[in-house]
Amino acid sequence: MSSQNARRLARYLAGVAIALGLLAAFVGSPRKQSNARLDLDRLARTVESDDDNVTAVELGDWIRNRRANLRIVDVRDSTEFADYHIPTAERIALSDLTSGPFRKDETVVLYSGGDGRAAQGWVFLRAMGFTRVYFLKGGLYDWLDEVMNPAISPAAPRSAGTLAERRLSANANRRDLRFSSSRTAPLEKRSREFAAAESDIAASSVADRHRSR
Amino acid sequence: MGSARKLAGQFYMRDLTVFKVMFTAIVTAMLGAFWLGWLGVLDLSKVYVPETFLIPQLAGGVIFGAGFAMGGLCPGTSCVSAATGRLDGFAVVMGMFGGVVLTGILFRPLQAFYESTPRGTFTLPGLFGVPEGVVVLAIVLLAIAGFRGAEALERRASRTRTE
Repeated sequence: MSSQNARRLARYLAGVAIALGLLAAFVGSPRKQSNARLDLDRLARTVESDDDNVTAVELGDWIRNRRANLRIVDVRDSTEFADYHIPTAERIALSDLTSGPFRKDETVVLYSGGDGRAAQGWVFLRAMGFTRVYFLKGGLYDWLDEVMNPAISPAAPRSAGTLAERRLSANANRRDLRFSSSRTAPLEKRSREFAAAESDIAASSVADRHRSR
Repeated sequence: MGSARKLAGQFYMRDLTVFKVMFTAIVTAMLGAFWLGWLGVLDLSKVYVPETFLIPQLAGGVIFGAGFAMGGLCPGTSCVSAATGRLDGFAVVMGMFGGVVLTGILFRPLQAFYESTPRGTFTLPGLFGVPEGVVVLAIVLLAIAGFRGAEALERRASRTRTE
């Protein structure tokens, strides 16, 4: 290439670089997250009216009743997930939530050990425009205490069906999140119901896949 | 690019080829990353930004600079030089690998220093509080000005040589 041609090419490339640089200054951020928008007033109202979460009992009912388009998301790490997870739940790390693996018509329930990390995930998804998003109030602890093992202490008064009383008695078992062999009939019955729900959902999703082929 | 004389010419302001090659690479990669991110092809949140460890990186810079000045080659150009059969290039590559192996062997005692004075990650948009696009434009303009300045310096150096 002659030096004149090389000079011409260099000028042309410099022009392209300046044009792309100029455009870059006006097109906004190249980051995907910048598409996220938070309507803080609406968010605050949702939190204030307690519409940002579901209780463990409500979630249990949703699973039992095979609520349509329900996705339960465990945001804990894979070891904790393998140890125990809510029936029908899938594990998605918090950092992967932002890639938006959900449809707008799905109801998403996030949970973690307590409810802190799930609540953070809730903010991410709301910022991305998902409105049917909830986190599990009290996290997995409440799930175990109130749904899987709502034990009432023998010493409790007859009126001890209240949440507070159940929590007091269940706290004794809180250290181990996994099932223990001493837990008996009510727990096994619930486990069977959830297992049935889980296999139903699995079967229907297989059927859906077949239909979509 | 594999010639140590060409690289040494950089320090004497006679031959700024390395500067131009480096800045061309920076501008190309920056524009590519920006526009691919904007088009949704590249997820910039997954691009790793190295963390700053102030004192160990200053020490690393001094060692690197000393090696560069003595050998007349940097890691990339030393490989080019060695591949074209130059013995000095081969010596620098061997020295580089020796340094890497030595650092690996001594890593445990060095680790505390290696991880000292952490300052987190810095990016120009974060540091100056301006949007990425504005930084992109500023760097493109800086590069173009740098190229023109480099060519002026090279012309002046070649005039001085011929006089």
